Amino acid sequence: MAELSDPVIFGILLTLLIALLASGLWVALSLMIMAFVAIVAFSNAPAGLVLATTLWGHSHSWPLAALPLFILMGEILLRSRLSEDMFSGLAPWLTRMPGRLLHVNVLGCAIFAAVSGSSAATAATIGRMSVPELKERGYPEDLILGTLAGSATLGFLIPPSIILIVYGVATEQSIARLFIAGILPGAMLVCLFGGYVMLRAWMSPASIPKEDDTMSFREKLVASRRLLPVMLLIIGVIGTIYTGVASPTDAAAVGVVLATVLAVMTGSFGRKEFTAALMSATRTSCMIALILFGAGFLAIAMGFTGIPRNLATWIGTFDLSPGALLAVLTVFFVLLGCFLDGISVVVLTTSIILPIVQAVGIDPLWFGIFLVLVVEMSQITPPVGFNLFVIQGLTGIDILRVAKAALPFFLLLMLGLLLITVFPGIVTMLPNAMGN
Amino acid sequence: MRRVLDALYTAAGGLAALSILAICLLVSAQVGLNILARIGGPSLSYTIPSYADFAGFALAAASFLAMAYTLRAGAHIRVNLLVSRLPPRGQWIAEILSLALGGAMVGYATWFSVLLLAESLHYGDTSPGIVAVPLWIPQTTMVVGLGLLTLALLDTLVESLRSGRPVLIDFGSE
Repeated sequence: MAELSDPVIFGILLTLLIALLASGLWVALSLMIMAFVAIVAFSNAPAGLVLATTLWGHSHSWPLAALPLFILMGEILLRSRLSEDMFSGLAPWLTRMPGRLLHVNVLGCAIFAAVSGSSAATAATIGRMSVPELKERGYPEDLILGTLAGSATLGFLIPPSIILIVYGVATEQSIARLFIAGILPGAMLVCLFGGYVMLRAWMSPASIPKEDDTMSFREKLVASRRLLPVMLLIIGVIGTIYTGVASPTDAAAVGVVLATVLAVMTGSFGRKEFTAALMSATRTSCMIALILFGAGFLAIAMGFTGIPRNLATWIGTFDLSPGALLAVLTVFFVLLGCFLDGISVVVLTTSIILPIVQAVGIDPLWFGIFLVLVVEMSQITPPVGFNLFVIQGLTGIDILRVAKAALPFFLLLMLGLLLITVFPGIVTMLPNAMGN
Repeated sequence: MRRVLDALYTAAGGLAALSILAICLLVSAQVGLNILARIGGPSLSYTIPSYADFAGFALAAASFLAMAYTLRAGAHIRVNLLVSRLPPRGQWIAEILSLALGGAMVGYATWFSVLLLAESLHYGDTSPGIVAVPLWIPQTTMVVGLGLLTLALLDTLVESLRSGRPVLIDFGSE
């Protein structure tokens, strides 16, 4: 057994994982089996005992309790009238911006991203309203699809983000700090996307249809009256986390209560909708929990084999600069993201690659945001970009055409990635200001 | 039999959902007390004993008990990019293999979780908080949940073998 060198063992394990995943075995169970083989074949640790203690140890943590609660909050707001009001509430404010109502996609996604944390749900909810509306008014198709596909990925970055909870739990980073770290990069992307729309509108003004702007300020406020409480809810949730008044789990619990009150007050939300939201949240959080358990077992198993440590040493011999390593990782993640969903990419990374990243002195907090940005990019790349699927399902437009429309936004995300690498302060400034 | 099993998975899923509600109510209640303490000063400062521990245990219950229900709802994530391109017979074989392998893995995990539970009972392990909860109580949800997931995987395996095609429909795949 000792004959095999670490890169070879790692290659064997990786091949096994790819085979398991490709044959359609559930991601969480594939991770578990890979970990099991790693322990049994390449270490002396008692596999069953380690498995049981890991499952139990990872299942009852306080930070992880934020996960089902934030998912539930999103599910409740998804079923309220919020999504219907998004278009009518935002449109009156945007008629004079260059690019006009295309910004509804960007801002609507950003707002909804803040409550839901899932980019597929964001794309579906906003797209259902905005795509028919914008098409009818004669906006260019590639910009309608592109803004939707691109902006919907903001769900991962703008807090509360499900994927940042997963990263935080898997790497034992503070979820509160991760959430706060996501704010400025999220805002930066909103500006980049909005700026691109303006640029396109400025380059070909004829392609953007005219909108009449006859509403008074008062009328505009009335049109968005149902959006305001939701925005207050979001600001409240993020604000209490930032000031340290509440932990993410506390904020999530109160968020659920307030979201329910809001949904009931705006009407058409009763016990039936609440039950549907609760059961859906139960399934989603269970799915994520199982993946986290599998990844937790994998991380410990890999630790026993010593592979990540040796791999880190091995990569260290190449004398890569952090920049070069990040470039390699970006390509690797985007490729990985072509076949795996975002959460799976994150847990695989944290259980195998994080030691390497930390060995070259990269801040794990910053790396979490970096990783989320890369995962966002992978959501809009074919063949497996979940947002592309959602938009294809929504509009009936072929996935490759959607992907082509989303390409500029992919490049903008890349630009965002470059910006946070050159100016890491965009990520670290706010969490550092938090103190603790 | 089919209906009994489905009812069992759904009932466990319902318990999981109630656990999530319990977390929400428990944590909200504590936040309410925190607010009260801020307003009323130290004399009105109350803490629900070991509330973080209880929230954690409810989370474990929610995660484990929902596993079988989530499986049957097709909500556990897997990659069907390649499998979906196979001819029907190939899809069926891949499904059978996945279910058998998954069932074996989760069955193994179930067995060792039973051993862990037995150990907690034997040594009288308790949680470290103010309210010392015997660990075997929350760990029972793990054993039951994993046991149900094993059952659901084997149940689905038998169902697929009998019908000659995959029976699980992945949520959101179409």
